[in-house]
Amino acid sequence: MSVVALGAGIAVLTGIGAGIGIGIATSKAVEAIARQPEAEGKINKALLLGCALAEATAIYGFVIALLIIILLK
Amino acid sequence: MNELVNDLLKQLNCETVFTIYPFGIKIPVAESVVVTWIIMAVMVLASIILTKNLKVEKPGKAQVFLESAISWMYHFFEESLGKNGKRYIPYMITIMLYIGVANLIGLFGFKSPTKDLNVTAALALMSIVLIEYAGIHQKGVKKWVKGFAEPIAIIAPINVLEIFIRPLSLCMRLFGNVLGSFVIMELLKLVVPLFVPIIFSLYFDIFDGLIQAYVFVFLTSLFIKEAIETE
Repeated sequence: MSVVALGAGIAVLTGIGAGIGIGIATSKAVEAIARQPEAEGKINKALLLGCALAEATAIYGFVIALLIIILLK
Repeated sequence: MNELVNDLLKQLNCETVFTIYPFGIKIPVAESVVVTWIIMAVMVLASIILTKNLKVEKPGKAQVFLESAISWMYHFFEESLGKNGKRYIPYMITIMLYIGVANLIGLFGFKSPTKDLNVTAALALMSIVLIEYAGIHQKGVKKWVKGFAEPIAIIAPINVLEIFIRPLSLCMRLFGNVLGSFVIMELLKLVVPLFVPIIFSLYFDIFDGLIQAYVFVFLTSLFIKEAIETE
């Protein structure tokens, strides 16, 4: 059981990458909006798309972790 | 720990509510299908009631709200689908409404259908079929096949692989997000049963659910736009 929990924990570490990625994307988006407030709509759209794609890695890690816990219980 | 795992497993498992036997074939009807029927009933009723008394002059409050909501969605998809993709707008709006309601229905005590992997897989399959159909419809079979070898022929295998990767990632993204927020909420309810979950529920259930509906249709419409692009 403890090894399984360890494996699940390692799988969830993928969240680090997603967190950093979304953080960078958001900071750039804030900068862009500050520079050009009238383009906010377009920037928001691109930001959302980028966040959704960056988030996918974290989600995959989570799904793998869940599968590990459930299948190897 | 074991108790939690068992509880999660029970929540994950989509139970069969009843089984029908048309023409001697056994078809089990899962809980997600029944909840989908409920969503369909609610949406159909809502659309009948909302569109009953439409007037050209002096529209009521409900009509103004309806018109602004529909025109917002229409413009949003018009922008992301491009000029040639106008015919796919009603489908996209339908999917968006369905996923949005399906994500929110967990608040009313139903099991959200999007928490069932089969439902998200079906949605993703519908999306990829529509994407490829849109490409064939716009360009014709010959150009569609040629499109795999663009911009250079050597990346054709990657383009073919994309047909499988896209629905997989669409399906997993929606499922993982809904399931993830659900698991976090369950853990939170376990740790702090009072008040605190309300605030987090606003984010995880409502905000995240709507964002995921938005992201799903947004990505689908981007893929369609890419498929029907002509030089």
